[in-house]
Parts: sequence; structure tokens; C-alpha cells
Amino acid sequence: MGDITDKLRAAKNKRAGHGTNHASPKKPKKVKSQAAETIDLDLDDDELELLASQPRRSRSNTTAADEKEQSPAKKPRISEPSSNGLTKPDVSRVKKSDSPQTVKELLDSIPSVDLDNVTTKEATQFSWKGAGGDGSGASSELEIPEGQANCLLGLTIVFTGTLPNLDRSTSENLAKRYGARVTKSISKNTSVVVLGEEAGPKKLENIKKLGIKAIDEEGFKRLIAGMPAGGGDNQQADKARRKLQEQQEQAMKEAEQMAKEQEEREKKDKLSVGKDVNLSSKSTVTEDSKLWTTKYAPTDLRQLCGNKGAIQKLKTWLESWSSGKKPSMRAVMLSGPPGIGKTTAAHLVAKSLGYDVLEKNASDVRSKGLLNASVKFALDHKSVIGMFKSISDDHYSKNGKRFVIIMDEVDGMSGGDRGGVGQLAQYCRKTNTPMILICNERNLPKMRPFDHSVLDIPFRRPDAQAVKARLMTIAMREKFKLDPNVIDRLVSVTRGDMRQIINLLSTVTTTSKSIGSDNIKSLSDNWEKNVALKIFDITPKLLSGGIYTENGAKQFPLYKKMELYFDDFDFTPLMIQENYTSTTPTLLRKGQTHLNAVAAAAESISEGDLVDKKIRSAEQQWSLLPLHAVLSTVRPASMVAGNVTRRINFSAFLGQNSKTGKFYRLLQDIQYHTRLSTSTNKMGLRLQYMPTMKRHLLDPLLRDGSAAIENVINFMDDYYLSKDHWDSIMQFYVGTDDTTAALKSIPSSTKSAFTRAYNNVSHPTPIMKLGVSTGRATAAARPDFEDVVDNDDEVPVEEENPKDEDEIDFKKDKFIKQVGKKKTKSKTKKVSSKK
Amino acid sequence: MSYATKLELPWVEKYRPHLLKDIVGNEDTVQRLQTIAADGNMPHMIISGLPGIGKTTSIHCLAHELLGDAYSQAVLELNASDDRGIEVVRNQIKHFAQKKCTLPAGKHKIIILDEADSMTSGAQQALRRTMELYSNTTRFAFACNQSNKIIEPLQSRCAILRYSKLTDEQVLKRLLEIIKLEDVQYTNDGLEAIIFTAEGDMRQAINNLQSTVAGFGLVNGENVFQIVDSPHPLIVKRMLLSGSLDESLQYLKELWVKGYSAVDIVITCFRVMKNLDEVKETVRLEMIKEIGFTHMRILEGVGTHLQLSGMLAKIQKLKS
Ligand SMILES: Nc1ncnc2c1ncn2[C@@H]1O[C@H](COP(=O)(O)OP(=O)(O)O)[C@@H](O)[C@H]1O
Ligand SMILES: Nc1ncnc2c1ncn2[C@@H]1O[C@H](COP(=O)(O)OP(=O)(O)O)[C@@H](O)[C@H]1O
Ligand SMILES: [Mg+2]
Ligand SMILES: [Mg+2]
Repeated sequence: MGDITDKLRAAKNKRAGHGTNHASPKKPKKVKSQAAETIDLDLDDDELELLASQPRRSRSNTTAADEKEQSPAKKPRISEPSSNGLTKPDVSRVKKSDSPQTVKELLDSIPSVDLDNVTTKEATQFSWKGAGGDGSGASSELEIPEGQANCLLGLTIVFTGTLPNLDRSTSENLAKRYGARVTKSISKNTSVVVLGEEAGPKKLENIKKLGIKAIDEEGFKRLIAGMPAGGGDNQQADKARRKLQEQQEQAMKEAEQMAKEQEEREKKDKLSVGKDVNLSSKSTVTEDSKLWTTKYAPTDLRQLCGNKGAIQKLKTWLESWSSGKKPSMRAVMLSGPPGIGKTTAAHLVAKSLGYDVLEKNASDVRSKGLLNASVKFALDHKSVIGMFKSISDDHYSKNGKRFVIIMDEVDGMSGGDRGGVGQLAQYCRKTNTPMILICNERNLPKMRPFDHSVLDIPFRRPDAQAVKARLMTIAMREKFKLDPNVIDRLVSVTRGDMRQIINLLSTVTTTSKSIGSDNIKSLSDNWEKNVALKIFDITPKLLSGGIYTENGAKQFPLYKKMELYFDDFDFTPLMIQENYTSTTPTLLRKGQTHLNAVAAAAESISEGDLVDKKIRSAEQQWSLLPLHAVLSTVRPASMVAGNVTRRINFSAFLGQNSKTGKFYRLLQDIQYHTRLSTSTNKMGLRLQYMPTMKRHLLDPLLRDGSAAIENVINFMDDYYLSKDHWDSIMQFYVGTDDTTAALKSIPSSTKSAFTRAYNNVSHPTPIMKLGVSTGRATAAARPDFEDVVDNDDEVPVEEENPKDEDEIDFKKDKFIKQVGKKKTKSKTKKVSSKK
Repeated sequence: MSYATKLELPWVEKYRPHLLKDIVGNEDTVQRLQTIAADGNMPHMIISGLPGIGKTTSIHCLAHELLGDAYSQAVLELNASDDRGIEVVRNQIKHFAQKKCTLPAGKHKIIILDEADSMTSGAQQALRRTMELYSNTTRFAFACNQSNKIIEPLQSRCAILRYSKLTDEQVLKRLLEIIKLEDVQYTNDGLEAIIFTAEGDMRQAINNLQSTVAGFGLVNGENVFQIVDSPHPLIVKRMLLSGSLDESLQYLKELWVKGYSAVDIVITCFRVMKNLDEVKETVRLEMIKEIGFTHMRILEGVGTHLQLSGMLAKIQKLKS
């Protein structure tokens, strides 16, 4: 067995010489290839080499950790932690040895963009003409430059137009990360403009007028790579550095202050616990065995980082209740990603104004019925706790008997909570108690009922600056070293999730007591948030040209593209289908036109549909899913990928599909009624009868107004059509027959006369008439499959027509009954013929 | 036959580590878990990684080391085979979280949710506030294959520990320990084959080892590939890459006479092709399309040699 180990080791050493694409020096990740070599299948050496360089096989596709290996080698960051753990940007140090010496020199060394040769917005249009010579598309480095810390400090940068590789938010974040100020409009304070294609012509003019240096993406990268740490040596940089230093000192002070306050409060707590024996049972949990997020939960509004404006708004709103009046919006909705202090803010604001809190969250059942039972009573009642509180406190004498309802995690209401959202939205309108609702995704369709019933207060992710003081406090209290310069890194890997950062710190510090520039890289790789991308992120990613170039394919290989499909394999293909014409392809082959590419993509999508049928029909061939991923998503996307030129739209297929279904049902109903006077099937009715019917149902009304009503009604009776049928038939016409305008042109007096006239006389019915307008009330209860409804959560269109759903149920019910009824009726031959 | 009698327990269970220190690989993370086991105050955590690399095992070891004898009363474990719908979360889990349980300072009740990525998002949503409100007495440990299947609000509440794939040396180390204890006869190429096919999945490696021993007694390369029952990826790769159609067909024949089914061959082709970096991606997509359509035809019932030959011919054509 020693043999094997040796062999493996030998293989490894051998590999070391060649190095696979993503061999990270520390982690021996590419073992797969070693194995390939050690297995003796008498391949000759060259072939082995070839095989060995193939990184990994299918199974590894899902490794999240693998993704991290791709980032280009980082230059070591320069940072000198000073005694208190803070880096003082040392002004004198900025004399650096390497040329170019100043910002100006560096900028000068970067070629300017020829302003007269830039394509402006007007100039480009959706063009079907072939792509020019070099088939490979624009320069295709996806690589993000790495510069020194704060190297762009003091520069004011404006981005305009579309850069070939970096999208706008990436490039802006990049600039901000290195300390630059990013503004939207060009002024004389602008230090440099990064110009992409299709820049606004107005901006170009401005650039020329003010004589500002304009560079392209390549130049921007060079700027980042070339600037020294801490920015250049000009005045602005100095100023910015000083400001940064002040900020850091300020943060440090705040941290100390906070730490002191917290200590004092704890002391006080301990004292009071000592005195009050009754309370002690509550406090048996020692501070040390609490989660850090609990231990360092803000106890005061000031300790909450970021979102000051939102919190103030919340406070103002709640204050407006206390004066006895009710504000125009009786409920507020705090929305934002997790871990940024929404729940905390709600509780603290309530507390600071002396309200008691009644909290309901996703772990409680919140169906309509239960909401009625448990919340409704609270809506106008007074807090019991408040009644017993002493009146000594000023606040309490005013608000003491009041409390506030916090509905946390409203978007967590799901299958089991049937009717909960609608009910809650209703409460919001009529509550006599302030209600604070909290959710993550305000834009979900299921949150739409709240649109006009709540005051929206969005919370945003706090930035590094906002959380610095808080984190330094924690570091100080927990006695570990935290380099303030890595905080922005922590913020960016967790996507601004404060709770996650605190969790991260608490876990990491179990083994290492210092977090600085040396270990931040591996930390952030490990902690990078790994959330399933949403379709609106997936789609543009798949359609962007950068990932299909030779280089792009290395960085973002095929299996990863397929993973994007698997992130949401129901919707991704639909989204591609919806948006594949919204790009300007950058990767056209020589002589290929945009139209060719679109056609090829369409072909592939339709092939994908064939596969889809095999998967989802009775055959259930799920093993074809990877093929579907390629045909429906990756392959068509690769053909048209480029710059996304239009807004990414949500798939219209679902809406259209449910519309089709609805019309089928209507048609079925109409055909059913007309059956005694027609002899055709549904299709025939639609294609042959309906166009003619329009001439008898609508045209007379348009021509003769009220005078035609009787004729129309007679015609309807001939076909056993009700007024409802008349309405639905009108919806069927499309194209030049479309009736929307015509219907509008009928005077409302005629319309109401028509309705009245119809209701005044009795009409022949082929079947017993059933209640028509009771649809809602009689809608059958749907089975309560949690999973089913969960999936529905992502189907916005479903909710777009909440009525539709009821109609389906209702119609279905009606049919069942109708069929039954009809039998009995036809036996009695009660079919009246009133002619 | 003599081996069969020895196989009362699957080896994966028999040799499941009981202490954190026996878990191979992922040293940093395991080290961290050991510190937590010693110090107490376990945070909520998510352990994510590929199957068979010790996630479930780690959580069990940690819980045992933290709680010792109290394990039986202070741990609630639910895995994919248990009902974990929203009702269970709102009742069973919440009640367990509320339950009083005397534990030494710094220790908490633990709720283990294995294979958490199979929980519905509704059920996950319902966990959110429970995790916060009862965090003073109860901590959660999730194991999952893909952490992105855990909703963001839960990730936000957890320490996320990622297990990376085990290296071949690590798998080998463990296999050799087991081989020694079970007194298995083996050849080097047999072990190599097991390690190669396991692709870092310890469970699969151990299972294949046991199956080979049970089936043949001797662990050598040939026996292992018979047990594993899929065409050798290296041969498939050569078949797909070879310069002439004749050569490809030769490889196909080799696989065909060994008795691999058309479906197995075509699926392996798909997998191998997907990561075949030697071929440009645009071309690869076309080849995948051909392989995929062949797959479809085979599923329709025409699993013939001719279909596969046709596929190879089309692939060959795409190369030019
Ligand atoms: N803005 C913040 N400032 C300070 N601590 C925060 C902040 N946001 C979150 N935290 C920490 O995270 C924990 C959870 O915050 P919470 O308000 O429940 O987040 P949300 O409701 O937005 O998901 C808090 O107890 C606190 O420790
Ligand atoms: N890192 C490891 N060290 C030792 N044995 C392991 C390791 N990983 C997996 N195993 C073996 O594989 C079996 C399955 O491991 P398990 O922890 O259930 O994997 P999973 O990561 O899928 O939860 C265990 O019973 C054990 O025998
Ligand atoms: Mg919350
Ligand atoms: Mg497991």
C-alpha cells in the first residue's frame, strides 16, 4: 500500500510542473487528474497529459467550493495595522518608487478615447446587418483587476455608456471599493470619465467642453492596477485621506463609546438581577452561551447601523399614532434583505416610544381563519401589559395602554396560510392598532395585495462605513483583532448581511484570534453567500457575451452555465425564450447576421421543446434534463449572447397560457349553450360562427343604438346566449375585429338599457339556470398542498388575475352540476322554444 | 461465500467515525468543530458539500461530544425521510425548542436537520424566527448538498461551513484503515479503480470496496469496474476524441462487447463531453445536441449499436 501513496505523491509532483487551470497552490484540488494518471490503462504519456488536464468530471458540478478557485492571483495588499488595529493612511508614505509618479502622469500614460469616434445612443439601433471582420467579438477579458487598497482615493469618476466586459454596477463598485467617488453627471470636479459604447451624446459634449480625460475600460483597469495604495499625491487625495482617517478615528471612538455603554448596562443588569430574584430565572442564560447576534443585538436605536432615514421614517409614523389621530396609512411595511436590522428596528422603535409588542412570524400559522381569531381581537384592544405598568414613566402615561402589532416575515406566509395575505392586507386598512409588517421581497406578486394598504419603508444593505463602528466594538469586547480595512470585504461577501458577518466572526474566532488582510481571502472564499440566483439575475448572465468567449468559457465553464439552468429549471428556459431577441450579439461568426443567430437560437429552443415534452409528458424522462438545459437554454443563449439591449422581461408564456385556458373554458361554455341551435364543435364555433355573430350582436348596437336592443336580444335567445356570454364573446375578437374600441364607443345609456332590457324579460334556457355571480362565494376550497402552493409563489401571473382562479373552480363546479342537471332536464323535455 | 457471512453490517455504518478527530479531510473546519465541541456555545450552522464526505457524520460527532449522555433527550434529528413540512416545523420543532431541558452551561439543545435542501421553502421560512427566539436554549445544525437551496434568511442566521471534496489520499487513508481491520485482499490497481470511480465520495468508495469484496473476494481493477457497472470514462473519452471514425467505432465495439447498455454508454458520453475542455465550447454544444438526441432515441426503445455508431459519425463530422 505504500506503493500507492508513493505513486499518488509522485503523480502529484509531476502535475505540479504543469499545473491545471485552476490549481490553487494550497488546496490539492485537482486530485482527479492525478487519479487519471495513476490508473494504468496503458495510455501513452501524451494522451495522459491530455486527459490529466481535464479538470473534473460531472459529479463535481455541484461543488460550490470549486467556484472560488477562478479568481486571478491577487497581489498582496499593502496594509500596516497600527497598534490599535486601525490603519492610519500614512500621508508621508505615499512617495512611491515605481513610475508613473503622479495621478496625472499615470492618467497621461493611459490613452484617451477618441471622442469623435464613440458610438452614441442614437447611432446604434437594432441592426440585422452582419458582424464585421473579427469573428471573436470584442476584447474578452473577464478578469477583474486587483489594485492596492484605496488606490483611487480622491478621484471622482463618471461611468457612461456600456463597457465591453464590466457591467455598470460592477465597475462602479470596483471604483468605490478603491476609494473613488462615483458620480452620475460630469462636472468640473470630475477627474476622469470611463467611456463605453453608446454613451449619451450630451455627456460626450460635456466631456469635450470641460476637457476631462476620458478613458476606456482597458484604461480603467490600468488605472486601478497602476495607482499606489492610498491614492495619488495630489490635493484631493490628501483631502480624501484625511477624511478617511477622521472617519476611522470617529469609528474607533464610537466603538469605544459603545463598548463602554454596553459594559455599564450589563453591570446594571447584573445588579438588578441580584436584587430582583423573580427575574433571575429569566437570566440564567449567561452572556457567554448566547449567540453573538443575540449578545450584540442592538438595544438602542443608535446602535443600529445604516438605514437611519428609514428608521426615522418609521419612528415618525409611529409617533403620529400617539397623538390620538390615525395616520393615513395605518400599517407600514419594512422590506429588505435578511440580517440588516429590520426586526430589530421595529422592536426598538416600538420600545422607544413605549409600545408593547405583539409579534407574529412565519413560525406561527397565519391562515385567514387563525388571523381572524388571534389578531383581530388585538386590532382595537389595549395592551394588558401596559395597564399594569406603573404610570411613573412619561411615555407610558400617554401610550401605555397601546401596543403595536409586528407581523414579521410576511413573505413567509405560504401554502398553509391560505387567505392570510389578503386578510392581512385588509386588516392593514382598518386596524386601530399600529401594524408593522416585515418582509424580504416586497416585489413578489403575492405581496401585491399590500400595494395600497401600507406605507412602504425599504431598508437597504448597510455599507462598510456604517457597520465599521459596530464591528470594531464587537472585536474589542470579544478581544480579537479585526483589521478595519477588511470590513468592506466582509460586507461584500455577505452582501451586506450584518447578522451573517457577526455569525462569521463568532465562528472564525473560535480558531483564529485575528482577522486581517492575510486570511481574509480564504475567509471570504469560504463564506461567500451562495444563494440560488433569481431568474432576473440568471437571464442576463446567460445572455451576456463574455461567458462564451474562449476565455470566458474557461472562467465560467459549460457545466456552470448548465447549473444556472438548474437553479430554476422551470423558468430559465422560458426566460431565455422571452428575451433571446433582446441582445446585440457580440460573438457572430464571420458573415453571420443577427437574424441568422436569432433563427438558430429559435431552432434550438424548439428542439428543446421536443425534449421538454419527453420530460414532462407521461414519459417522465427526467434523465433528459441535462439535454434540455443545453437545448433550451445554454445553446440558444450562446448563439445570441452579447450586450443585453432591452429590459429583461418576465416570461409572457405563462400569462398567455392561462389566458388560452380561460378562453377555452369560455368557448366551451358558449358552445355548450348554443349547441341546440348550432351543429359544430368548439373550434368551428369560434372560426365560423363567431365572426358572423358579431354582426348580429354588436354591429346593430353600434349602428342603431338603443333601437337595436330588441333584435340583439332576440338573436341571443335564438342561440340561448346570456348577457354574460355576450360579454365574453366580445373578448374573443382579435386583430381588426378587436372590439375594445367599439365597446367604448357605445354610450353607457345604451349599455345600461341593454342590460335592463335583457334582465326584464325571461329567456329560454337549454338547462336550468345556475347562479352566475356567486362565483367567489362558492369557489370550492382547493386542496391545501403546501408544495404546490409554494411553487405557485413564483408564478406571478397566477396572481395577476385572482378572479380567474375562482372562475376556474366555479366553472368547473358549474359544469359538473350542469351536466347532471341537463340530463334530468332533457328527460322532462322542458327545452322551451320561444319562436 | 465465506465473505458473505461476515457482512452483517454495511461498512459505511460499521466504520462511521464516532469522534470528530476520526473524520478525515477538511481539517480546518473539523478543527473548528472540535473547538466548538470543547468550548460549547455551538452556533447555528449549515454544513454543505457533496454527498458522502462526512457532513452527517460530523454533526453527529459534534452533538455527541457536546452533549454526551444528554444526547438522547437534547437532540431532535429529522432527515429527508421524516415529514418536515411546515406543520412539523410549526409544531414538533417549535415544541422541542420550547422544551425545558437541564444542560450544563454553554450547552444547548440541538435540532439536526439533515438533507435540509429537500425542505420546502415554506418550511424553511417557518424556521426563521424560531431560530432566533429560542437561540438561548436551542441551536440548529443543517446538512445539505447545496447551500443555495437553503433560503437566504436561514443562511443569514447560520455559520456556513463548506466541506470540500475529499482528496484521493484522504479516501485512500480511510480505505486502508478499513482494509486492515477487515483483512481484505487487494491489489494496487484495485484500490486505484475504487478511488477513481468514487470521485471523492467516501461513502461510494467504502460501498464499492465492500461490494467488490462480497462479490469477488479480491479487490483488483477488473473486479471493481465490474461492480461499478458503467463504461470507463477514459475509454469513452478516447472514443469521443479519436481522430478517425474507425478508431471511435473500435472503442465503441470494445464497450459494446463488454455488455454495457446503450443508455449507460450514451449517458457517460454526455457527462464526459460536457467537461471535455479539449473541444471548443461552441462545438461541444453541437456534439452534446447529437449525443442528447441519440439518448432520446435510445429511450424511445432503439438502443442499438447502430444508433451509437451514427452518433459517433455525426460527432466526427462536427470535428472537421
Ligand atoms: N443594522 C444593524 N446594526 C447592528 N446590528 C445588526 C444590524 N442588522 C442586523 N444586526 C444584527 O443581526 C441580528 C438580526 O437582525 P434582525 O433585525 O433580526 O435582521 P432582519 O430582521 O433584518 O433579518 C441583530 O440581532 C443584530 O445582532
Ligand atoms: N470524512 C470522512 N471520514 C471518515 N469517514 C467518512 C468521511 N466521510 C464519509 N465517511 C463515511 O461515509 C459514510 C457516509 O458519510 P456521511 O457523513 O453520512 O456523508 P454525507 O456527507 O453525505 O452526510 C460514513 O458512514 C462514513 O463511513
Ligand atoms: Mg427578521
Ligand atoms: Mg448525509
